[in-house]
Amino acid sequence: MLRTSRLTKLIIYAVLVVYVIIIITPFLMIFMNSFKSLREIFLKPFSLPSQFSLKNFVEAWKRANLTSAFANSIYVTTVSVLGILFVSSMLAYAISRYDFPFRRFLYIYIIAGLALPARLAIIPIYVILQKLNLLDTRLGLIIVYVSTGIAFATFLLKNFMDDIPKALEESAMIDGANPWTIFTKIDLPLIKHALVVVGVVNFVGIWNDFFFPLIIINSQGKETVPLAISIFFGEYSNQWNLISAALSMSVIPIMIGFFLLSRYFIVGITQGAVK
Amino acid sequence: MQKISRKFILLFVLPAFILYTTFVIYPFIYSFILSFYQWPGVGKKIFVGLKNFRDILVGPFAEEFRNAFVHNIYFFALTAIFELGLGFIIAVLFVTTIKGKRIFQTLVYLPNVISMILVGFIWNMMLNPQWGLVNKFLKTIGLGFLAKPWLGDPNLALNTIIAVNVWRHLGFYVLVFYAAIISIHPDLINAAYIDGANNFQIIRYIIFPMVVPTLQTLLILLFIWSFNVFDIVYALEGVQAGPFRSTDVLGTLFYRTAFGGLGSSRMDFGLGAAIAVIMFVIVVPLSMFYAYMAEKRRRS
Repeated sequence: MLRTSRLTKLIIYAVLVVYVIIIITPFLMIFMNSFKSLREIFLKPFSLPSQFSLKNFVEAWKRANLTSAFANSIYVTTVSVLGILFVSSMLAYAISRYDFPFRRFLYIYIIAGLALPARLAIIPIYVILQKLNLLDTRLGLIIVYVSTGIAFATFLLKNFMDDIPKALEESAMIDGANPWTIFTKIDLPLIKHALVVVGVVNFVGIWNDFFFPLIIINSQGKETVPLAISIFFGEYSNQWNLISAALSMSVIPIMIGFFLLSRYFIVGITQGAVK
Repeated sequence: MQKISRKFILLFVLPAFILYTTFVIYPFIYSFILSFYQWPGVGKKIFVGLKNFRDILVGPFAEEFRNAFVHNIYFFALTAIFELGLGFIIAVLFVTTIKGKRIFQTLVYLPNVISMILVGFIWNMMLNPQWGLVNKFLKTIGLGFLAKPWLGDPNLALNTIIAVNVWRHLGFYVLVFYAAIISIHPDLINAAYIDGANNFQIIRYIIFPMVVPTLQTLLILLFIWSFNVFDIVYALEGVQAGPFRSTDVLGTLFYRTAFGGLGSSRMDFGLGAAIAVIMFVIVVPLSMFYAYMAEKRRRS
């Protein structure tokens, strides 16, 4: 810990406060604008809204199809994250715990996925989904997210599993438990913390993703939140009050989630990248 | 290491293996194959050999490709300087004896959890030339001459996009550097104080050298991520990457080529795949090096 004089401390606080103001101002602006009329946005950009009516919110919610957008985002993100955790933890368990042919090769094969930018392979992905009749479906989107999430999740989960002692498992095996029972009853509970970290990191990534929905989804009613907002932004490009309201409503849930779970976010994301 | 029956191995391995092979490995290989064809997405594929690559590297698309490529490199250089530079400095501020670190850190990280496309739209409003808060603010404090069409001036637009990008990501680098700095043993710093070192010397000769490995990792990641840039340009300038392609990057060029968007010079999956392959060739060796380092570090 660096020692600092009172003056230095004051300067540090000042710098940090300015930084935080720069971070918060854009969010404050869209929240404020959500209550204002267009005229008010233009004439009084810095003042508080003259009234706190929810009119803009109601209208933006309806016109941007946010009911179905939120339903789609929640559905796609939740199923994808559970899917990633499910298939990756099974794979990580097998690689970490058992000896079988091609085990080492399999691990390298999966880890190679860390180096392949999935977005660049979007053309073949698009073609495959088309052949499987999964284009423009939520299931197609989910399958892509699960598949592209496997490498990273398996890498992290295997690391965690390698670190937990095997004594419990060995005694369970002597008692005649099969590998599936050992996996679900002993190993999964032991890596609970890792599963939460991997889950949170993937949740944010998928919830926020714009690229895959942009390519894969193209009918109304199937959009996720980022895609719905982007369409709304294009159609109502001058209705800044409605756009602000729509943006506010799409930003607030993730902010609340972040403040509640900030510990996992920060641990997961800094570890995930640099570990 | 235990033996296991084949039935259970297949149960554990197959679901992930099949998905991963079908939607990650196979598309990767298929991109290479497709890059030798001309194919608008329907009908027959026509084998054209290396024509797509010639078109991109020396032919009719060379100028557009080079333009986008240079922007990616520029993007990397500037984000590296600002995100890593400022990130390190602010992280150092956090390792002093100030109070309220947790709340500051949480707020600093906040923009990272907001979807990049939404960040783009929010800043699109902030930067609106007529009533956007940025120009209004400059006029209010008497710096009206600095008010600019941030996204409409070809000389400014890319820099503006980079600035928004820094706004979104800086917190991540702050926290990563912070994590690296606090893992330095406190005795090292205390001993330096006893020897009469001042804070600048400690930062220069103890803290900085200790975070160099982190810095290297982040540089590699930043390079890879710089070639993934798409959402932010899409949100601020659209797929045409205006004004006059001054903000075009390989991501938007790739998107236009493969999936259209009005005004693309030629829409073709083969040509798009060729752009993707070139991007693979630039990014994948570095990514592999990164994955290799991550695995090696884990084992040591």
